[in-house]
Formats: sequence, C-alpha cells, structure tokens
Amino acid sequence: MALRRPRFLFLVHALSPAHRRVIGLRRAEMGLLFGLRDGLDPWRGIGRLARLRLDDPALPGGGIDGEVIGLPLDPEQMLADQELALTRMERAVRLALRDGPVDAVGLGSLCAVVAGRGTALAERLDVPVTTGGAATAWALIENAERVVRLREDPGPVAIVGSSGPVGQAVAAGLVARGLRVRVDSKRGGRGAGVEAADGPAAAVAGAGVVVGAGPTGGVLDPAALAPGAVLIDVALPDTLTGPAPAGARVLAGEALAVPRTWHPGGWGRLYHIFANYGPGLVFACLVEPLAMAAAGRRSPLAIGRRVDAEAVAELGRVAGGLGFRPVLARGWRPQSDAALRR
Amino acid sequence: MSALALLTADDYDAADPQIWAKVRTAFAEALGLDEDEVELQHRIIEELDAESLDFLDIAFRLERAFDVKIPRGGIENAAKEGVEDGQYEVDGVLTDVALARLAEAMPELPAAELQPGLRTTEVPELFRVATFYNLVVRLLNEKAAA
Repeated sequence: MALRRPRFLFLVHALSPAHRRVIGLRRAEMGLLFGLRDGLDPWRGIGRLARLRLDDPALPGGGIDGEVIGLPLDPEQMLADQELALTRMERAVRLALRDGPVDAVGLGSLCAVVAGRGTALAERLDVPVTTGGAATAWALIENAERVVRLREDPGPVAIVGSSGPVGQAVAAGLVARGLRVRVDSKRGGRGAGVEAADGPAAAVAGAGVVVGAGPTGGVLDPAALAPGAVLIDVALPDTLTGPAPAGARVLAGEALAVPRTWHPGGWGRLYHIFANYGPGLVFACLVEPLAMAAAGRRSPLAIGRRVDAEAVAELGRVAGGLGFRPVLARGWRPQSDAALRR
Repeated sequence: MSALALLTADDYDAADPQIWAKVRTAFAEALGLDEDEVELQHRIIEELDAESLDFLDIAFRLERAFDVKIPRGGIENAAKEGVEDGQYEVDGVLTDVALARLAEAMPELPAAELQPGLRTTEVPELFRVATFYNLVVRLLNEKAAA
C-alpha cells in the first residue's frame, strides 16, 4: 500500500482590497461562475492560491504537498474583527480538509498575529497550528551568525524588537552560539547572558550587526546605526524610521533559498512574486508547517508567545535536511560572503 | 443593576475584583508575564514592555473574557467625538480641547500626564492597565444598559 504524502496548509490574507478580489477569483469551487453570493458560497471568498510540492524520496510517499490558501480579508479587516478572521481561518482549514488529511497548518503575516497568535485557531482544530516564529527565528539566528563570522570586530549583535517571542528566541539562540548580544528592552534582557539597553538607539550603538526582530517597525532612527552596520530585518514596515544611512545596509532576514526539488507550480510561481519572495526564495514562515508535516510532529513549533529553543533547533534540522537554506537577500538577490564582508 | 464605576487616578483600589482578575489574566497571557507582575497602575509600553501587536492580543483576550467588542482606536475615538476637524490636533500636537476630552475619556491617568504639547503619537505611551480596565467597564455598562 502506498504511503500517504504529508500535507500542509499555509494561510495568508489579502494585502489590499484589490488583492482581496483577486483571492476571490482564485476560488477552486464553482460558486463564482454560478454567481453565488457570500451567503450561499461555502468558501465565502476564500481562495486556493497555490499548490506546492517538495519531492524527497526519504519522505512517506516520496514527498510533501502544500497549499497556500488566501482569506478574503485585508489587513484592516483582520485587525478590526479578530473573531471574523478566526472564523475565516477555521473555515479555510475545514474546507481544505474535505480533500484529505492535513498534517500542519501554518499562519502567514497577520494570520499569525490575530486571535491570540494562533492559540484560538488551534483550540478549534484537531490539526496542529504553528505561527512561523520558530522558522523566522532560525533564519535570523543563522543569518546574524553568518555576518558576525564574516566580519572583523563586529561588536555585539543588537536586537531591536526584543520583547516579542521571535526577538527573545533569537537572543537566546545567539547567546547559545557564543555571541555577544544586546537587546532593546527589559523583557528581552531576561535571558541569561543578554545585555539589556534602554531602547533601540542605545541597543544598536556600536553594533556591527543589528537584528530587527519585531513584527512592526518604525522604531529606530537610521542615524543611530553604526557606520557600516548590517541590519537584518523582518519587521513590516521596516525597523528604521527612514532610509538607511550611507554605508549601512538593510537586508531581508527571513528568506530561505528553496531546494531544486521544490515545485511551486504555475500559480505558485506567481505567488512567489506576488508575495515578494522572488524566484527561488520563500519566507521562512512558509516552511514551518512543511517541516512539521515532514517530521510528523504534532505539537506546534511556535504558538502564542512560545518559540522554544528546542523548536528552533528542530526546525533548523528538518528544514535544513530538506534543503532549505537561510539567505540574506537585498530585494530578491541573495548576498554573497564577499558582499557581506564589505 | 447599578453601573460599574470607572477607576480614577487616585483610587485604583476601587477596582471590581472579578473584573480585575480577568483583566489581569488577559494581560499576563498576552504578554507572557506572571499575573503578579501586572498591576493596574503599570504603563503598558514602558513598564510591561508591550509592543504594538501585543495590544491586539490583549484586546482579543479581553473581548473573549467579557464577551464584548473592543472597537479599534476606541479611546481616541471617544475623545474625538463631537470635536470638529482641525480642533483635535494641530501638526500632530493635541489641542486644549483634545486634552480635556482625553482627561474625560481616561480618568485613570494622573492629570499631570495630559499637558500641553502632548503629541497624538505619544498617547498610547500613556495607556495603563487601568485604561483597559476602564474600557471594559464602559463596554459592560453599555451592554447592561442595552
């Protein structure tokens, strides 16, 4: 009997009202053709945006299948009515379950933030739900360490947005790797071996490597960056309140290069571009449910405020083993070691 | 049933124990703190290290705990109610009218914190745990009156 291929879902929301209409057009069911309105259409505008596939003979069934599902809610709607967002997320998973078992559900962007950072959705489902925090932390830790090792006398690694779960996990992970870490908040500084500074500007003073780990940015005056500093950023909007000063660089910190066995399909390729991944890259959070499904892990790697060091390490082992590799990207271009040394 | 009383800056001890217990739990869970680390007088950003998205989590947990709907920007909207455009802020600085309205909307704040020159962007930094306690009390009173 053929083994069942693991399957994961990744939920995203519309980035704008126009995007919301596009998601509506990507419905897999025939409701739109027949002119059914929301009241009759079970999908309520939920769109199946892309089917993803990773081939790996070591996995049951020779690979893993994934699907990106878009909710017809723009950011304003996600934030204004979290119960509605929760209901739509649950509906999306239940409808996808009609096609067969799902091993893990990942949450993208604000889906990972609303409704108790995944906890309320997890309470409603028998499928493990994960927020992507462990994968984001893994990418940031790997990327920050890479830049530190490439540079002479980089000073401490500063973490802005250190009070959040990802920031705390990154601080702990970097300390565990023997790096000197300075954070911008008292809460972020609770971990052993971490220096706490009074706010973002104080934290980045003299730091050659800065990690922007907060979910939202706009908290750091660019003038506070040390000359030649590299800011590895995941905040949206960016951590800096303005353009980076001459000599300093801002690089996307959560991009992963995909293995050759990754097959996003036609819609998936479009989705890569639409989500601003760029060809050959994905955001780390997408890989978290994939890694859970591949490993057969039933407990979330990250949920609520919890992003454990053990989960970050497991994510790294599984995702790395499948061929995903953290890269520091500028736009869609991964940066070479030579470029990072400068 | 008589309306629940709002907390004022000089009388945080008047908090209803049952409401306070739920508010405290919501803050502790949303911020990953022990319950005894959360007090009504704490400034949410400065003293509890909350980031912007934590407010979202706090609001969600309070909505569920009390079966109420917390409107986005509820406090600022209450202060703006009835104030004509251009009368609330000038170049990002709150007017005297706005300061007076905020003092009414946030009786839990010491008056000294609502001084001329306060910018609209600085208002969230004034929020205390008691601010959300009062928000919940208002919504519960509205629900009871409906």
